[in-house]
Amino acid sequence: MLQNYLFVLILSTVALIIPVAAIVLGHFLGPRRPDPIKTATYESGVETIGDTWVQFRAQYYLIGLIFLIFDVEVIFLFPIALAFERLSLLSTLAVVTFVLILLLGLLVEWRKGALEWE
Amino acid sequence: METTLDLSTLNLAVVLPELTLIVFAILVMAADVFATPKNPAPRQWTPWIALAGVVAAAIVNLSVSGREVTLFQGAAILDKFAVGLNYIILLATGLGILLSVKYIPRINKQVGEYYALTLLTATGMMMMGAALDLITLFLALEIFSLALYILSGLNRTSPRSTEAAIKYFLLGAFSSAFFAYGGALIYAGTGTTQYYGIAQVTAAGLANTPLLYAGIALLVAGFGFKVSLVPFHSWTPDVYQGAPTPVTAFMSVGTKAAAFAAFFRVMLVALPFSYGAWSMPLALLAVITMAVGNFAALQQRSLKRMLAYSSIAHAGYILTALAGGAAEGADAALFYLFTYAFMNIGAFAVVMALEEMGAEDAMQDRAKGLGKTHPIMAFLMAIFMFGLSGMPPLAGFYGKVLLFEAAVAGGMIWLAIAAVAFTAVGAVYYLRVIANMYFADPVDESADEVNRSLPLDVGLAIAVAGTILVGVFPGFWMNAFQQSMALFGG
Amino acid sequence: MSLPEMSALFPTLQEVIFVLFALLIAVTSLIAAMAPNLFHNALGLVATLFGIAGIYFMLEAEFVGVSQILVYIGAIATLITFAIMLTRGMMFGRTSAMNRQGLAGAIISGLFFVVLLGIVFQVPWPNVVADITDGEALIANLGALFVSTYLLPFELLALLLLVALTGALLLARDR
Repeated sequence: MLQNYLFVLILSTVALIIPVAAIVLGHFLGPRRPDPIKTATYESGVETIGDTWVQFRAQYYLIGLIFLIFDVEVIFLFPIALAFERLSLLSTLAVVTFVLILLLGLLVEWRKGALEWE
Repeated sequence: METTLDLSTLNLAVVLPELTLIVFAILVMAADVFATPKNPAPRQWTPWIALAGVVAAAIVNLSVSGREVTLFQGAAILDKFAVGLNYIILLATGLGILLSVKYIPRINKQVGEYYALTLLTATGMMMMGAALDLITLFLALEIFSLALYILSGLNRTSPRSTEAAIKYFLLGAFSSAFFAYGGALIYAGTGTTQYYGIAQVTAAGLANTPLLYAGIALLVAGFGFKVSLVPFHSWTPDVYQGAPTPVTAFMSVGTKAAAFAAFFRVMLVALPFSYGAWSMPLALLAVITMAVGNFAALQQRSLKRMLAYSSIAHAGYILTALAGGAAEGADAALFYLFTYAFMNIGAFAVVMALEEMGAEDAMQDRAKGLGKTHPIMAFLMAIFMFGLSGMPPLAGFYGKVLLFEAAVAGGMIWLAIAAVAFTAVGAVYYLRVIANMYFADPVDESADEVNRSLPLDVGLAIAVAGTILVGVFPGFWMNAFQQSMALFGG
Repeated sequence: MSLPEMSALFPTLQEVIFVLFALLIAVTSLIAAMAPNLFHNALGLVATLFGIAGIYFMLEAEFVGVSQILVYIGAIATLITFAIMLTRGMMFGRTSAMNRQGLAGAIISGLFFVVLLGIVFQVPWPNVVADITDGEALIANLGALFVSTYLLPFELLALLLLVALTGALLLARDR
């Protein structure tokens, strides 16, 4: 069975090498004649005004954190879904309890306004 | 593969106290959610709902005690040890809630989440004592650890509080990693994560010994962090000082009780046949812990840091009972933690009262002259200090006697002698607080203001009543905790 | 020596791949810990996690490997990047990974490594005899185990996630 993954490994290695090779080869083989316009940062449209560093909003982090927690939930639900046919009643109730506890958490988050963007 | 679950092994009685707390945590969250800016009343009810939950869980604990059942044939157990631990955790939680009622709203408006997290922390702690399997143990450990990291950082405007949370989290995550590594190595060495299974394999001599010993070492490192053994103690002073004082009070007793309960259960139930390997290292750890804890506490100017180092020393005392390896050690540890809950939370409650308005810590100077300005408060603090130092006839004395008896019963007489010597050293810094209170003059005018509130007073009353009563009538309580742990093979 | 004896001297393809993954993990975890640029640390962490996922696949623990990639790299590494962007470390470019205890830390870690190495060589490792051929049924068995033998840890996990959600409410919001 491990043989099947050899294909994935070769594919990932090739996928890693080709862009790296492109950048490295371009760096060494290309001509270097810098002038002020070429070395300026590429930006299509209007010139930037002011500092580029703005304070990052904590809301991004909070949404990412909530996503993480529910991602872990999904990871655990996935094998249970595969075994769903042979679960007894008790086990199904246990799964429902698991989901309900997390649903409660989501409800509290929602009512507290953690899911708002503004 | 056998995948059906036998309903007859679903002994819900094992987790009924925890379930009660979870239900009340949900009620607290519900109350919090129903509070709108126009109607903030439900949020005021949350501490009382939490307190009701603690009382309800204690009643449930009382009604399920007396049996010895396991859940699902080996995930968790309900024996006298687990029941006793539940009482200790609920006592610490209840006292912590009483201390927080007036304090927490001053530092963080999100009161509902605080009480919900407190109840969930208590659930995790209670589960630690009942766990019979390394996986259950690890999850219970993570539940209450994660909740405590969050609670330590509750005061978002205080850099000390944030520092405490970060230090606790970083070191705690590291120690959890060691714990998981140790558990994995034990699994590799014995083929099972259940305590009874591990004991069976080691008894038959079938374990892969180098892996097993490596696993035990890493597991001890993980536990050592949680109970503040030296050299895993570096988080303790900073976290105790930086965290909000009610959280510190709750955490000081709760984590020790839960982690020691799990430590005792793992060592005495799962690894009794490896006793020769772990007894001497634990004894050495106990000596170093008592030494560092007591000598460092002598030099502290801050009351909270002094209490932090004193708690490190107390962890060393409890560890002597474990190093002895006798089954009486578990009973002694439970009794000691029970008395420790009253005395330590009482001491932190007095520190809370002494904190100047807005400050998060009280220096030793604040205690000077307290005997003249607030005689009742000084008297209470004197009782707690006497109790912690082990002076008869207060509760701390009998606790220490039991612990050192258990160490001697396991053959570690030298350890018991060393522990008594360190206790004598330890008495110095407790007595210094008392001397400051009664024989020194107040430092400045601010000595006249102490923070009082009705719930704080109730908490103080319970703490001092416990310290005195358990000390004056020790027999009843000592019998209650006897022969508590269900060992392998009966 | 004859040809079969000589070929026994060369490492198998599996061993070569394992060594490459192990090197990847070692080097990128050093980058994750010690690079002066905060963002390079995060990228080093991502590469380490990929390496660990590769080890999981080699152990034929496919589900763990996939969940490593989905959760660790997909959610946690992203979150770490967000956290880095929240701090101002990015603006200043270079931070130092060492503090005054670098030497003591290096010595203790070295000792720990030596001890672990000793254990690795001392342990009588058993030989793996059976080949795992179940395939998809493995993951289904894992799911069934979650709700039968390991039911209590499963529900405790729900509590742990609930604690994390409440903590997010308490700590992670804009004031």
